[in-house]
Amino acid sequence: MDNLNFLLQGFQIVFSLQNLAATLLGCILGLIIGAMPGIGSLAGCALLLPLTYKFNPTTAIIMLGGLYYSNMYGGAFSAILFNIPGDTPAIMTTLDGYPMATKKKRPGQALSISNISSFVGGLIGMVILTFTGPVLANVGLSFGPVEMTALLLFAMTSIGWLVGENPVKGLMLTLFGMLVASMGMDTLSGSPRYDFGNVYLLGGVPFTPFVIGLVGFSQVIMLMEQRNIAPQLVADKLTLRDSMLSKNEAKRLVMPSIRGGLLGTFVGVLPGAGATAASIMSYSAQKYFKSEEPLGTGAVEGIAACESANNGAAAGAFAPLLALGIPGSGTGAVLLGGLMLWGLNPGPLLFKNSPDFAWGLIASLFLANFIALTVSWGVIPFLIKILSVPTKLLIPCITVVCIVGSYSTSNSMYGVIVMFISGILGYIMQKFDYSYAPLLLAFVLSPMLESNMRKAFIISRGSVRIFLEKPISLAFIIAIACIALFPIVRYFLIKAGLMKKKTAK
Amino acid sequence: MSEYSSRKKGFGGNQIMPIIFAAVAALFVWMGLKKYGFWHPAKGPLPGFYPTIIGAGLFVMSVLGFIFSFKDKKPIFPRENWWAVIGGLSIIVGTFIIGLIPSVGIYVIVWLRWFEGCSWKVTLITFAVIMAIVIGCFVLWLQVPFPRGVMLELILK
Repeated sequence: MDNLNFLLQGFQIVFSLQNLAATLLGCILGLIIGAMPGIGSLAGCALLLPLTYKFNPTTAIIMLGGLYYSNMYGGAFSAILFNIPGDTPAIMTTLDGYPMATKKKRPGQALSISNISSFVGGLIGMVILTFTGPVLANVGLSFGPVEMTALLLFAMTSIGWLVGENPVKGLMLTLFGMLVASMGMDTLSGSPRYDFGNVYLLGGVPFTPFVIGLVGFSQVIMLMEQRNIAPQLVADKLTLRDSMLSKNEAKRLVMPSIRGGLLGTFVGVLPGAGATAASIMSYSAQKYFKSEEPLGTGAVEGIAACESANNGAAAGAFAPLLALGIPGSGTGAVLLGGLMLWGLNPGPLLFKNSPDFAWGLIASLFLANFIALTVSWGVIPFLIKILSVPTKLLIPCITVVCIVGSYSTSNSMYGVIVMFISGILGYIMQKFDYSYAPLLLAFVLSPMLESNMRKAFIISRGSVRIFLEKPISLAFIIAIACIALFPIVRYFLIKAGLMKKKTAK
Repeated sequence: MSEYSSRKKGFGGNQIMPIIFAAVAALFVWMGLKKYGFWHPAKGPLPGFYPTIIGAGLFVMSVLGFIFSFKDKKPIFPRENWWAVIGGLSIIVGTFIIGLIPSVGIYVIVWLRWFEGCSWKVTLITFAVIMAIVIGCFVLWLQVPFPRGVMLELILK
């Protein structure tokens, strides 16, 4: 019951004019950014980070939370209307969304199914977050430097290992991110290191310009390839009347949405898994349940399963982020970086020391879910116009926001140069099939890891046995070993014909 | 998949990233051990402790990455993509001469009107939208003191 009281207090915080406006703005921008193919929630949050500096931390994170959350709604729009997912979690939505829009000539209904199931999945995730977040934080309170080191190593290695096809690349980027983060001042002694005689590097690599470049400017370079590709429209215009669902369709989406929401929330809590994995797993799971039409032909159940799962995962990802300070994805890492910039340290003490902030954010997610549903319905008649904005117009817009935004965070051209270099690095990495999520996560978590690791070694006087003597850290070490052994086990299972090899689509 | 995705396997650019990572790792390990120190009997871990361990790990992974990279397909870097980089670079250079906001304005017009071949109507509408964001959000609201460039500084002096 305490949690519900805290949640009500959170709603009191959210229902200020500034916070309501921030939620609404975040939702609208999230829907638009999510719907635009090629931008995505990660770039959206990174590009908007400088704009939130004027707000207080609660309002700022409410806006970014709303943006991240509503992005999951928006990602489905272009998946359904153009067969191009606006964001990676919407990949599975194309399988049934696009056939429903084209073969069945019902794009409006496909959008409505997506919106309602997103709402249901998100709501389930938020209810679970309300009750499990503080519990997780209480568990985290018993963590000392040894346990925190093991937990952070687990979070970083798992995302490095699980994101993308190649675990070696993921781990390389994780370790590279840790090294980049170690430049500047030493966190414990305060002495400069790896500054290479450059006065700017004494402060380390600035987070916001680095992220803006890595995910925003690199995306601009990638978009150059698509700037002359005109999307195929499934309809000339959409109306709200054509988007209404029949009683049978509404009934059919309920159970897949509930299942998807539960599964998605569980997957969202795990580091490295995220909304994309959640929607893939939920869609696969739906194959074992009854569907009135075969999946892949425009089935209501197919759209509902993946859309509810990715929204459930988006909400679930806030539990480890707030309670333990461990983001589950690249976007989570950007949100965590933002929190640190505003002087907040997410972790077990957040619910205790800053309850207004923690519960205000959770309450804002509930509000964002309602607003995103309302706006995503209201925007249906204008979607074709919004999504028809040519990529070639977006390129200068995003370039300017990248440059101006990275300048504004440091009030110096150093920020712009960092953004520019990290943008080129991000582009080259994408071309070589390196995912930047592990790099971002490692960059954000590295100072925390170093601090805890050094404290653990001071306690143990240099012995690594301390990690095996404490039960919680031992459990994480075993989990790391299992994840590390997984590719080897998978290799032998594929060789033995017991597992199928993943093939690029 | 786009036309740019057709790629062959073998030796080439794929080995560049592991080599760069290995070089960075070796540098960090060397500096960590030589310059910042690894371990002190009384104080425990020194500033070079963590980067040295991580650098060593990165070096090992880079060697593995180098070996596995021969199985990867070679990426293609379309020449047109680098125009975005040149565009960004031109704003940075222009900022030092005429200031950031005029550079951004000129970039938008040149890019849309002459590079993309958009009509004047589309160019000016997009220009107005972008400048409204820059001036409205960053100059008026966030009050960011954008650089004025050498020329404007000289004129104002």
